Amino acid sequence: MKHKPHHINRMVRAAATGLAVATALTSVGANAATQGTLGATSTGSINISASVANRARITGLSDVTFANQDPATAAVSAQNVCVWSNTSTRAYTITASGSGTGSAFTLANGAATVPYSVEWNAASGQTSGAALSTGTASGNLVSTATQQMCASGPSSSASLIVRIGAADLSTIPASTSYTGTLTLLVTPQ
Amino acid sequence: MGYGIAPKVPLLYPALIVAAGLCTPAYGQSNKVRITQLSDVAFGFVAGPADQQISQNLCIFANTSNDTYSVVATGSGASSAFELVSASDRLPFDVQWSETSGQPGGTTLDAGVASPAFTSNATQQSCNSGPSTSATLTLVLRAAQVDQVTAGSYTGSLQIMIVPN
Repeated sequence: MKHKPHHINRMVRAAATGLAVATALTSVGANAATQGTLGATSTGSINISASVANRARITGLSDVTFANQDPATAAVSAQNVCVWSNTSTRAYTITASGSGTGSAFTLANGAATVPYSVEWNAASGQTSGAALSTGTASGNLVSTATQQMCASGPSSSASLIVRIGAADLSTIPASTSYTGTLTLLVTPQ
Repeated sequence: MGYGIAPKVPLLYPALIVAAGLCTPAYGQSNKVRITQLSDVAFGFVAGPADQQISQNLCIFANTSNDTYSVVATGSGASSAFELVSASDRLPFDVQWSETSGQPGGTTLDAGVASPAFTSNATQQSCNSGPSTSATLTLVLRAAQVDQVTAGSYTGSLQIMIVPN
Protein backbone atom coordinates (compact mmCIF):
# COMPACT_ATOMS: atom_id res chain seq x y z
CA MET A 1 0.00 0.00 0.00
CA LYS A 2 1.35 3.25 -0.99
CA HIS A 3 1.92 5.54 1.86
CA LYS A 4 -0.21 8.61 1.77
CA PRO A 5 2.12 11.54 1.76
CA HIS A 6 1.76 13.46 4.96
CA HIS A 7 2.43 17.04 5.52
CA ILE A 8 5.21 17.99 7.81
CA ASN A 9 5.35 21.60 8.58
CA ARG A 10 8.66 21.74 10.19
CA MET A 11 9.98 25.06 11.13
CA VAL A 12 13.60 24.82 11.96
CA ARG A 13 15.19 28.08 12.70
CA ALA A 14 18.89 28.22 12.98
CA ALA A 15 19.99 30.99 15.25
CA ALA A 16 23.34 32.50 14.65
CA THR A 17 25.65 33.52 17.40
CA GLY A 18 28.95 35.22 16.96
CA LEU A 19 31.42 34.79 19.73
CA ALA A 20 34.19 37.21 20.36
CA VAL A 21 37.13 35.90 22.25
CA ALA A 22 39.39 38.53 23.68
CA THR A 23 43.03 38.41 22.83
CA ALA A 24 45.71 39.33 25.32
CA LEU A 25 45.80 42.98 26.25
CA THR A 26 48.43 45.09 24.61
CA SER A 27 50.64 46.45 27.34
CA VAL A 28 50.70 50.21 27.53
CA GLY A 29 53.92 51.53 28.87
CA ALA A 30 54.87 55.00 30.01
CA ASN A 31 53.97 57.90 27.75
CA ALA A 32 56.60 57.98 25.01
CA ALA A 33 55.15 60.99 23.19
CA THR A 34 57.71 63.65 22.26
CA GLN A 35 56.92 67.33 22.60
CA GLY A 36 57.96 70.05 20.19
CA THR A 37 60.39 72.85 20.97
CA LEU A 38 59.97 76.52 20.15
CA GLY A 39 61.26 77.18 16.66
CA ALA A 40 60.58 78.11 13.09
CA THR A 41 58.63 74.84 13.02
CA SER A 42 57.79 72.56 15.90
CA THR A 43 57.40 68.79 15.70
CA GLY A 44 56.02 66.30 18.19
CA SER A 45 55.02 62.66 17.95
CA ILE A 46 52.81 60.09 19.64
CA ASN A 47 52.60 56.30 19.72
CA ILE A 48 49.27 54.65 18.94
CA SER A 49 48.05 51.15 19.79
CA ALA A 50 44.88 49.10 19.35
CA SER A 51 43.83 45.48 19.73
CA VAL A 52 41.36 43.71 17.47
CA ALA A 53 39.68 40.75 19.19
CA ASN A 54 39.06 37.37 17.60
CA ARG A 55 35.60 37.51 16.08
CA ALA A 56 33.32 35.35 13.98
CA ARG A 57 29.97 35.70 12.28
CA ILE A 58 27.41 33.37 10.73
CA THR A 59 24.85 34.71 8.26
CA GLY A 60 22.83 33.54 5.30
CA LEU A 61 20.78 31.10 7.39
CA SER A 62 17.27 30.11 6.29
CA ASP A 63 14.47 28.26 8.00
CA VAL A 64 13.98 24.68 6.88
CA THR A 65 10.54 23.32 6.02
CA PHE A 66 9.82 19.76 4.98
CA ALA A 67 6.31 19.84 3.53
CA ASN A 68 4.28 16.91 2.25
CA GLN A 69 7.23 14.64 2.79
CA ASP A 70 7.00 11.11 1.42
CA PRO A 71 7.91 8.94 4.41
CA ALA A 72 9.44 6.37 2.12
CA THR A 73 12.23 8.79 1.30
CA ALA A 74 14.58 10.47 3.75
CA ALA A 75 14.15 14.23 3.95
CA VAL A 76 17.26 16.27 3.26
CA SER A 77 17.78 20.03 3.31
CA ALA A 78 21.11 21.57 2.38
CA GLN A 79 21.78 25.28 2.47
CA ASN A 80 24.77 27.51 1.86
CA VAL A 81 25.70 29.82 4.69
CA CYS A 82 28.33 32.46 5.31
CA VAL A 83 30.74 31.83 8.15
CA TRP A 84 33.52 34.37 8.68
CA SER A 85 36.43 34.44 11.09
CA ASN A 86 38.95 37.26 11.47
CA THR A 87 41.77 35.20 12.97
CA SER A 88 45.00 34.93 11.06
CA THR A 89 44.11 31.37 10.06
CA ARG A 90 40.42 32.15 9.41
CA ALA A 91 39.64 29.10 11.55
CA TYR A 92 36.52 28.44 13.57
CA THR A 93 34.57 25.67 15.25
CA ILE A 94 30.85 25.05 14.98
CA THR A 95 28.65 23.87 17.86
CA ALA A 96 25.05 22.91 17.19
CA SER A 97 22.30 22.44 19.76
CA GLY A 98 18.66 21.52 19.29
CA SER A 99 15.49 22.49 21.09
CA GLY A 100 14.76 18.99 22.36
CA THR A 101 15.38 17.63 25.82
CA GLY A 102 19.05 17.97 26.67
CA SER A 103 19.47 20.12 23.53
CA ALA A 104 18.63 17.10 21.38
CA PHE A 105 18.10 17.49 17.66
CA THR A 106 14.37 16.79 17.77
CA LEU A 107 11.18 18.24 16.39
CA ALA A 108 8.12 18.12 18.58
CA ASN A 109 4.37 17.98 18.39
CA GLY A 110 3.33 18.12 21.98
CA ALA A 111 4.93 15.16 23.67
CA ALA A 112 5.66 13.45 20.39
CA THR A 113 9.11 13.96 18.96
CA VAL A 114 11.01 13.00 15.85
CA PRO A 115 14.80 13.19 15.61
CA TYR A 116 16.81 14.79 12.88
CA SER A 117 20.55 14.89 12.16
CA VAL A 118 22.84 17.82 11.45
CA GLU A 119 25.86 17.81 9.18
CA TRP A 120 28.34 20.61 8.46
CA ASN A 121 30.71 21.13 5.56
CA ALA A 122 33.31 23.91 5.51
CA ALA A 123 32.73 24.28 1.78
CA SER A 124 29.59 25.72 0.29
CA GLY A 125 27.45 23.91 -2.25
CA GLN A 126 27.74 20.55 -0.50
CA THR A 127 24.93 18.06 0.22
CA SER A 128 26.74 16.12 2.91
CA GLY A 129 29.26 16.81 5.61
CA ALA A 130 30.60 15.84 9.00
CA ALA A 131 27.90 14.89 11.48
CA LEU A 132 27.57 17.23 14.46
CA SER A 133 26.69 16.06 17.96
CA THR A 134 24.55 18.38 19.99
CA GLY A 135 26.54 20.68 22.23
CA THR A 136 29.89 19.42 20.97
CA ALA A 137 32.27 21.73 19.12
CA SER A 138 33.58 20.51 15.82
CA GLY A 139 37.24 20.36 15.01
CA ASN A 140 38.86 23.47 13.57
CA LEU A 141 37.49 24.45 10.20
CA VAL A 142 38.78 27.14 7.85
CA SER A 143 36.58 29.78 6.30
CA THR A 144 37.09 31.15 2.81
CA ALA A 145 34.96 34.21 3.54
CA THR A 146 36.76 37.54 3.11
CA GLN A 147 33.92 39.74 4.32
CA GLN A 148 31.90 39.07 7.45
CA MET A 149 28.60 38.79 5.58
CA CYS A 150 30.11 37.45 2.35
CA ALA A 151 29.06 40.68 0.67
CA SER A 152 32.30 40.55 -1.27
CA GLY A 153 34.52 37.63 -2.20
CA PRO A 154 32.84 34.22 -1.88
CA SER A 155 29.05 34.58 -1.50
CA SER A 156 28.97 31.67 0.95
CA SER A 157 31.56 29.63 2.77
CA ALA A 158 29.92 26.56 4.33
CA SER A 159 27.03 24.10 3.99
CA LEU A 160 24.45 23.14 6.61
CA ILE A 161 22.65 19.84 6.02
CA VAL A 162 19.63 18.66 7.98
CA ARG A 163 18.15 15.16 7.55
CA ILE A 164 15.20 13.16 8.79
CA GLY A 165 15.52 9.49 8.11
CA ALA A 166 12.72 7.56 6.38
CA ALA A 167 12.23 5.35 9.42
CA ASP A 168 11.65 8.43 11.56
CA LEU A 169 9.37 9.99 8.98
CA SER A 170 7.21 6.91 9.01
CA THR A 171 6.42 7.45 12.69
CA ILE A 172 4.85 10.83 11.96
CA PRO A 173 1.05 10.75 11.54
CA ALA A 174 -0.25 12.33 8.38
CA SER A 175 -1.23 15.98 8.42
CA THR A 176 0.63 16.78 11.58
CA SER A 177 3.21 19.45 12.16
CA TYR A 178 6.41 19.10 14.10
CA THR A 179 8.62 22.07 14.90
CA GLY A 180 11.93 22.81 16.52
CA THR A 181 14.89 25.17 16.63
CA LEU A 182 18.52 24.55 15.78
CA THR A 183 21.11 26.88 17.26
CA LEU A 184 24.54 27.21 15.66
CA LEU A 185 27.45 28.73 17.59
CA VAL A 186 30.55 29.77 15.66
CA THR A 187 33.74 30.26 17.68
CA PRO A 188 36.83 31.86 16.10
CA GLN A 189 40.07 29.91 16.51
CA MET B 1 107.85 146.74 18.63
CA GLY B 2 104.98 144.91 16.97
CA TYR B 3 102.65 142.35 18.48
CA GLY B 4 101.12 139.37 16.90
CA ILE B 5 97.58 138.60 16.66
CA ALA B 6 96.89 135.00 17.39
CA PRO B 7 95.10 133.48 14.52
CA LYS B 8 91.58 132.59 15.36
CA VAL B 9 91.08 128.91 15.51
CA PRO B 10 87.56 127.97 15.05
CA LEU B 11 86.26 125.87 17.90
CA LEU B 12 84.38 122.94 16.98
CA TYR B 13 81.70 122.04 19.37
CA PRO B 14 80.16 118.69 19.30
CA ALA B 15 76.90 119.11 17.63
CA LEU B 16 73.90 117.07 18.20
CA ILE B 17 72.12 116.55 15.04
CA VAL B 18 68.55 115.59 15.34
CA ALA B 19 67.07 114.11 12.26
CA ALA B 20 63.78 115.43 11.19
CA GLY B 21 60.91 113.07 11.91
CA LEU B 22 60.69 110.07 14.31
CA CYS B 23 63.64 107.92 15.02
CA THR B 24 62.52 104.40 16.03
CA PRO B 25 64.73 101.47 16.94
CA ALA B 26 64.42 98.52 14.53
CA TYR B 27 65.08 94.77 15.21
CA GLY B 28 64.25 91.37 13.47
CA GLN B 29 61.80 88.76 14.98
CA SER B 30 61.20 85.46 13.22
CA ASN B 31 57.92 83.56 13.48
CA LYS B 32 58.06 80.90 16.16
CA VAL B 33 55.71 78.02 16.92
CA ARG B 34 55.55 75.23 19.45
CA ILE B 35 53.48 72.08 20.06
CA THR B 36 53.26 70.55 23.53
CA GLN B 37 51.04 68.39 25.74
CA LEU B 38 50.99 65.48 23.29
CA SER B 39 50.09 62.06 24.74
CA ASP B 40 50.27 58.53 23.38
CA VAL B 41 46.94 57.01 22.32
CA ALA B 42 45.85 53.50 23.37
CA PHE B 43 42.52 52.44 21.91
CA GLY B 44 42.50 49.09 23.72
CA PHE B 45 40.14 46.50 22.24
CA VAL B 46 38.26 47.75 19.25
CA ALA B 47 35.24 46.25 17.51
CA GLY B 48 32.26 47.37 15.50
CA PRO B 49 29.61 48.42 14.89
CA ALA B 50 30.55 51.97 15.87
CA ASP B 51 33.68 53.92 14.99
CA GLN B 52 36.15 54.39 17.82
CA GLN B 53 37.75 57.77 18.42
CA ILE B 54 40.01 59.39 20.99
CA SER B 55 40.57 63.15 21.32
CA GLN B 56 43.25 65.02 23.24
CA ASN B 57 43.77 68.68 24.00
CA LEU B 58 47.09 70.19 22.96
CA CYS B 59 48.97 73.43 23.34
CA ILE B 60 49.77 75.09 20.04
CA PHE B 61 51.57 78.41 20.27
CA ALA B 62 52.23 80.67 17.30
CA ASN B 63 53.72 84.14 17.56
CA THR B 64 52.96 85.01 13.96
CA SER B 65 51.28 88.29 13.18
CA ASN B 66 47.84 86.70 13.21
CA ASP B 67 48.68 83.78 15.55
CA THR B 68 48.08 81.44 12.63
CA TYR B 69 49.73 78.14 11.82
CA SER B 70 49.33 75.03 9.69
CA VAL B 71 49.57 71.38 10.66
CA VAL B 72 51.44 68.69 8.73
CA ALA B 73 50.78 65.18 10.04
CA THR B 74 52.62 62.06 8.89
CA GLY B 75 52.01 58.48 9.89
CA SER B 76 54.29 55.48 10.24
CA GLY B 77 52.63 53.51 7.45
CA ALA B 78 53.87 53.12 3.90
CA SER B 79 54.45 56.55 2.32
CA SER B 80 53.71 58.13 5.69
CA ALA B 81 50.17 56.76 5.66
CA PHE B 82 48.07 56.92 8.79
CA GLU B 83 48.24 53.20 9.53
CA LEU B 84 48.69 50.85 12.44
CA VAL B 85 50.28 47.52 11.67
CA SER B 86 50.18 44.04 13.16
CA ALA B 87 52.17 40.96 12.26
CA SER B 88 49.89 40.31 9.32
CA ASP B 89 47.67 43.28 8.57
CA ARG B 90 47.29 47.07 8.41
CA LEU B 91 44.63 49.15 10.09
CA PRO B 92 44.18 52.69 8.77
CA PHE B 93 43.03 55.55 10.97
CA ASP B 94 41.80 59.09 10.44
CA VAL B 95 43.40 62.22 11.88
CA GLN B 96 41.30 65.27 12.66
CA TRP B 97 42.34 68.70 13.97
CA SER B 98 40.46 71.51 15.64
CA GLU B 99 41.94 74.91 16.48
CA THR B 100 39.76 74.90 19.59
CA SER B 101 40.42 72.60 22.52
CA GLY B 102 37.77 70.23 23.87
CA GLN B 103 36.33 69.34 20.47
CA PRO B 104 35.24 65.76 19.53
CA GLY B 105 36.35 66.10 15.90
CA GLY B 106 37.62 68.61 13.41
CA THR B 107 39.20 69.09 10.01
CA THR B 108 40.38 65.84 8.48
CA LEU B 109 44.11 65.91 7.73
CA ASP B 110 45.82 64.19 4.82
CA ALA B 111 49.17 62.55 5.45
CA GLY B 112 52.04 64.85 4.58
CA VAL B 113 49.79 67.68 3.41
CA ALA B 114 49.77 71.07 5.12
CA SER B 115 46.39 71.90 6.57
CA PRO B 116 44.53 75.14 6.03
CA ALA B 117 45.52 77.90 8.41
CA PHE B 118 44.40 77.59 12.01
CA THR B 119 44.51 80.26 14.69
CA SER B 120 45.94 79.75 18.14
CA ASN B 121 44.68 81.50 21.23
CA ALA B 122 47.67 80.42 23.30
CA THR B 123 49.48 83.29 24.98
CA GLN B 124 52.46 81.31 26.29
CA GLN B 125 54.53 78.74 24.40
CA SER B 126 53.66 75.89 26.78
CA CYS B 127 50.25 77.26 27.78
CA ASN B 128 51.58 77.81 31.29
CA SER B 129 49.54 80.98 31.46
CA GLY B 130 46.42 82.03 29.65
CA PRO B 131 44.49 79.15 28.03
CA SER B 132 45.78 75.79 29.27
CA THR B 133 45.27 74.24 25.82
CA SER B 134 44.54 75.63 22.38
CA ALA B 135 43.76 72.77 19.98
CA THR B 136 42.28 69.28 19.73
CA LEU B 137 43.78 66.23 18.03
CA THR B 138 41.33 63.38 17.27
CA LEU B 139 42.19 59.91 15.99
CA VAL B 140 39.42 57.71 14.53
CA LEU B 141 39.32 53.97 13.83
CA ARG B 142 36.49 53.25 11.42
CA ALA B 143 34.32 50.22 12.21
CA ALA B 144 34.28 49.23 8.56
CA GLN B 145 38.08 48.97 8.64
CA VAL B 146 38.19 47.19 11.99
CA ASP B 147 35.69 44.65 10.70
CA GLN B 148 37.99 43.71 7.87
CA VAL B 149 41.36 43.29 9.52
CA THR B 150 42.88 40.24 11.14
CA ALA B 151 42.68 39.93 14.90
CA GLY B 152 45.79 40.97 16.76
CA SER B 153 47.72 43.87 18.25
CA TYR B 154 48.29 46.95 16.12
CA THR B 155 50.81 49.76 16.69
CA GLY B 156 52.00 52.85 14.89
CA SER B 157 53.05 56.46 15.40
CA LEU B 158 51.97 59.91 14.30
CA GLN B 159 54.26 62.86 13.81
CA ILE B 160 52.82 66.36 13.90
CA MET B 161 54.67 69.39 12.61
CA ILE B 162 53.44 72.91 13.26
CA VAL B 163 54.36 75.52 10.68
CA PRO B 164 53.86 79.28 11.04
CA ASN B 165 51.32 80.57 8.61
